[in-house]
Amino acid sequence: MSGHDSKYFSTTKKGEIPELKEELNSQYKDKRKDAVKKVIAAMTVGKDVSSLFTDVVNCMQTENLELKKLVYLYLINYAKSQPDLAILAVNTFVKDSQDPNPLIRALAVRTMGCIRVDKITEYLCDPLQRCLKDDDPYVRKTAAICVAKLYDINAELVEDRGFLESLKDLISDNNPMVVANAVAALAEIQDNSARPIFEITSHTHSKLLTALNECTEWGQIFILDALSRYKPADARDAEGIVERVTPRLQHANCAVVLSAVKMILQQMELITSTDVVRNLCKKMAPPLVTLLSAEPEIQYVALRNINLIVQRRPTILAHEIKVFFCKYNDPIYVKMEKLEIMIKLASDRNIDQVLLEFKEYATEVDVDFVRKAVRAIGRCAIKLERAAERCISVLLELIKIKVNYVVQEAIIVIKDIFRRYPNTYESIIATLCESLDTLDEPEAKASMIWIIGEYAERIDNADELLESFLESFPEEPAQVQLQLLTATVKLFLKKPTEGPQQMIQVVLNNATVETDNPDLRDRAYIYWRLLSTDPEAAKDVVLAEKPVISDDSNQLDPSLLDELLANIATLSSVYHKPPEVFVTRVKTAAQRPEDDEYAEGSEAAYSESSAHPADSAASPPTSSSNVPYAGARQPAAAPSTSPPAAPVPDLMGDLLGMDNSAIVPVDQASTPVSPPLPVVLPASTGQGLQISAQLTGRDGQIFYSLLFENNSQIPLDGFMIQFNKNSFGLAAAGPLQVPQLQPGTSAAILLPMVLFQNTSAGPPSSLLQVAVKNNQQPVWYFNDKISLHVFFTEDGRMERGSFLETWRSLPDSNEVSKDFPDITVNGVEATLDRLVASNMFFIAKRKHANQDVFYFSAKIPRGIPFLIELTTVVGTPGVKCAIKTPNPEMAPLFFEAIETLLKS
Amino acid sequence: MISQFFVLSQRGDNIVFRDYRGEVQKASAEIFFRKVKFWKEDGEEEAPPVFNVDGVNYFHVKVVGLLFVATTRVNVSPSLVLELLQRIARVIKDYLGVLNEDSLRKNFVLVYELLDEVIDFGYVQTTSTELLKSYVFNEPLVVDAARLQPLNPAAIFMQGTKRMPGTAVTKSVVANEPGGRKREEIFVDIIEKISVTFSSSGYILTSEIDGTIQMKSYLSGNPEIRLALNEDLSIGRGDYRSSFGSGSVILDDCNFHESVRLDNFDTDRTLTLVPPDGEFPVMNYRMTQEFKPPFRINTLIEEAGALKAEVILKVSAEFPSSITANTIIVQMPLPKYTTRVNFELEPGALGQTTDFKEANRRLEWGLKKIVGGSEHTLRAKLTFSQEFHGNITKESGPVSATFTIPMYNASRLQVKYLQIAKKSSAYNPYRWVRYVTQANSYVARM
Repeated sequence: MSGHDSKYFSTTKKGEIPELKEELNSQYKDKRKDAVKKVIAAMTVGKDVSSLFTDVVNCMQTENLELKKLVYLYLINYAKSQPDLAILAVNTFVKDSQDPNPLIRALAVRTMGCIRVDKITEYLCDPLQRCLKDDDPYVRKTAAICVAKLYDINAELVEDRGFLESLKDLISDNNPMVVANAVAALAEIQDNSARPIFEITSHTHSKLLTALNECTEWGQIFILDALSRYKPADARDAEGIVERVTPRLQHANCAVVLSAVKMILQQMELITSTDVVRNLCKKMAPPLVTLLSAEPEIQYVALRNINLIVQRRPTILAHEIKVFFCKYNDPIYVKMEKLEIMIKLASDRNIDQVLLEFKEYATEVDVDFVRKAVRAIGRCAIKLERAAERCISVLLELIKIKVNYVVQEAIIVIKDIFRRYPNTYESIIATLCESLDTLDEPEAKASMIWIIGEYAERIDNADELLESFLESFPEEPAQVQLQLLTATVKLFLKKPTEGPQQMIQVVLNNATVETDNPDLRDRAYIYWRLLSTDPEAAKDVVLAEKPVISDDSNQLDPSLLDELLANIATLSSVYHKPPEVFVTRVKTAAQRPEDDEYAEGSEAAYSESSAHPADSAASPPTSSSNVPYAGARQPAAAPSTSPPAAPVPDLMGDLLGMDNSAIVPVDQASTPVSPPLPVVLPASTGQGLQISAQLTGRDGQIFYSLLFENNSQIPLDGFMIQFNKNSFGLAAAGPLQVPQLQPGTSAAILLPMVLFQNTSAGPPSSLLQVAVKNNQQPVWYFNDKISLHVFFTEDGRMERGSFLETWRSLPDSNEVSKDFPDITVNGVEATLDRLVASNMFFIAKRKHANQDVFYFSAKIPRGIPFLIELTTVVGTPGVKCAIKTPNPEMAPLFFEAIETLLKS
Repeated sequence: MISQFFVLSQRGDNIVFRDYRGEVQKASAEIFFRKVKFWKEDGEEEAPPVFNVDGVNYFHVKVVGLLFVATTRVNVSPSLVLELLQRIARVIKDYLGVLNEDSLRKNFVLVYELLDEVIDFGYVQTTSTELLKSYVFNEPLVVDAARLQPLNPAAIFMQGTKRMPGTAVTKSVVANEPGGRKREEIFVDIIEKISVTFSSSGYILTSEIDGTIQMKSYLSGNPEIRLALNEDLSIGRGDYRSSFGSGSVILDDCNFHESVRLDNFDTDRTLTLVPPDGEFPVMNYRMTQEFKPPFRINTLIEEAGALKAEVILKVSAEFPSSITANTIIVQMPLPKYTTRVNFELEPGALGQTTDFKEANRRLEWGLKKIVGGSEHTLRAKLTFSQEFHGNITKESGPVSATFTIPMYNASRLQVKYLQIAKKSSAYNPYRWVRYVTQANSYVARM
């Protein structure tokens, strides 16, 4: 060994590449090894050393393992860009895979699996087959992972060569490392396949539980996570599992502990004996707490998980609140999570301790933490009725310290406390008023003004206090202006004396004439009109009793909580979001670095064929016809310059007998101009109000597109919308914001929608029941139709391979078809354009007798795919649509959607 | 399953970058660093260890000023990834002796070789230095440890006490000594981090010990080892805490390294193991049983006129005089309107420093060492820019302290003996059993 590796990073004066080339071909071993190291060094800092490919590969045939490993490392990096040269290495690979040294055998398959070049992949199969049955466990465990690699490159090949069976055999291997890797590989393959591949039967289940005891810590995690997919038959089965898993709670590896906790929580759902459950809770508490002794990063993950666990099973940690007290040296992200859990665990029994802590936090330096601590006190007051008074006295103490942001935060929470316990704690208002002039944050100001207005009759100088704010009315933020307006009206209604009367004139004037804010102006006009026409009605409206608010510290929706609990010890439980929200793993080929080139290549191919459709149709199938797909599979470096790649075995085409030569160009860019919205509430029914509406999808988001037309004689405002439970759980993502509608005017609104909010049970139905109200008219109800195509997601495009595979994996009973005798497909291109714009993706086309058969894929949220086959004679009425999907009950909805799409 | 692994320097330079699956764009390191550096979300200014940017999940841990990062697109177990990142750091340190930017750069080929054995296609294969030795062929180039900042936790033994061979803990597990043969030795460190919160009246609000028995073996031939702990050790506290005073050590919870066999643990509290190479925790434990805190901290604030006040800080060491604590730092936030602080140390004070950090209005008092049983006082005269309203006490504090006390452990957990299965009568390796207590969160409220 000579010198330090860092010297390889130093550059030489003359041309680096020629010099390296020379050294790589040196007759001295050491010199060659040094040269390869230099090449790798250059590679890691991003220099292009691909031109040395041949020279490096020449160093591959060596007995020196260290050198061999370096060459392999280089190969993994550059084989993709030099597929033709990579083939030079194949012989050595194959030879190495039979080397007497197991390390070399393993190294060969491991590396070959990392080279995503078809030519190499073809040669991988035989060595892989051998290595899966190798005598040496190190080789077998490497081969097991290699099957997952190969599946990612070419799933068909894995299935055809029976590798899945070999992999399943390895589950019974006597070496725990091999078992763990086989489980990991199978789990990954299962995740990427629509077909059941890795089913955990009670037999495999008990085998894996046994392997658990002998595995390395990492293998234990793979196995535990795979096992968590197994659904136990009954309570006894579940108890049996728990018994085997509980010892894992003592593991020093936090990930093992959390995966074990996940398993136990899952089984607990089935266990009926309360004694057993109580006992398990007791057993889980200490290990969960111990996670908080780990590094802060792990603590954070543990806390996010604990947050979910205590929402379902608050008893587990009910006595452990002290461990969630913040340490002064905790990172802020840990402190914030601890606060959340403290609120969740706060009870009448421990509230004094908790308050003492919060009070202490509220005097710390970190402003965000302090604010959250003050808010936490308020949330405890709202949550624990019996402790509310103590909470308030702590808040008052904090206000007395007169730290500006503490005071403001306290006032915000006290407003909520007043809402929660009306007419209970108003005696403290006087103290609050002392801090009036220090408020400079909009939310605090607005809260204080709300308090003054709400309790105007008890505050002797309420008019003076409000007046002091009025001077700066035009400069205040909208939030404060709105509160000032309402508070002044309240004051006037409660004390209709001269002072307030003058004030109200000023405010109304300011809020109508002097402002550009439509919300403020609208609200001011309503008040004005109310006050001038019927002051008693105004009282009923403005001083109406408010609904009592409740604690929001358990704000997770129960169904979401269920889903997250099923995902304990995964990212989902850290983000508190279901996996489908953030997992965007597109079929890997689409994410490769060569992605860009693929996109360019295929675009070029498309435009070419669109320019000369006849030519391309006539050309021999081996060359141009395969280009778009060849581009996808052949990660060639420069598709424009490289010679046409040899045709990839086109399994799809072969199997279905498709004619690839007639690939039709698909333009994704164009979006059709939307036709007028259908009327859902005619003016005749709606006392002059006409509503037209339709669901639309735009950029992956669903909107309810609405048009309100006011044909009545009065201005309409205060629009609100509500959706009844429906099959997709569609609901408004936010409030409906419709400006005041003057007679004869209309407003078009795009209301963002969310899914799976209030899902109705029963078979899927397209019925969407909507209620719309405004301040002037009765509530209007109308029915709309959910068109399924609105939900088609942008990730619904399938590779041909996976389309075929999914098609075959679904049982025939999942196939439904329907005839549309009166639909005519005229322009193929236009139709495909339209479909792709609705996220229904064209896959292939073939001719069958005189008919054209088109294949499409689409996907709706929650990952439900639809595989579609359309058969028609272009230009003649009659379309037959056959679909296959895991959810055939959706078929009627789908047919409605396709009908709409084809007709439009 | 992870997609990429990389190590970034504090400046965001790529020191190591390995892509295992090619699913995440190459620019991820840059995207990550920018996100972490300019983090500002939910009012927090420090990025959490796990976050998602455009569908890519980033995990990171900080190890000796370096960022160890992993990316993935799928819904993996975050604790697995974070634990893995810590372990990779530990394996690299085992190999290189010292983990820092310099040593990583000098040994990048070895590091890549390690990474290829630790992870295959994103799946962890092993993080055991012992196992890796049979697959990894590059030899480490050990950087000069003498001029480097010592690293925790082993480095804490390097301060003060001379009889501990400081360099031993920074030597590589695999590299040979310059002299040829390796020295046969084994280190067993009982490291306890204690957290105590005192109320303003000096009453203990919460106290906790997080302990680890850390082992680092340089024994050849992997002999079996028996480690005996206190016989009266008990684990798991009941719902009531009555056992205090009985003299026994009660742990709330503990866990063990996978190499530890517990066959006799229930009967005689001995652990049996064949220690793998490298540094690893034999046992982690946690204790909330009351214990005698090593330091008491008293604070007194006296107003002295409208714009002045005096703070008197007193630290008393309540441990035996045979023991000396070192590198004690006492900190106290002062009211925001403090402009000047004049310090007055006790007469004859040695090795003490005082400082007023104006940026965050904090008083810092450093003491090189404190001998057991002694008491030290600091007087600080504060000058304010404005008249204080309300209560100065409420606007300052809490007082926090950090310290290290070698050869002391608060829990009284002990290694009674360390037995090494002998190969021959002449075989007598060096055994180092060392105790150390460090402050984690040691706070006195005001």
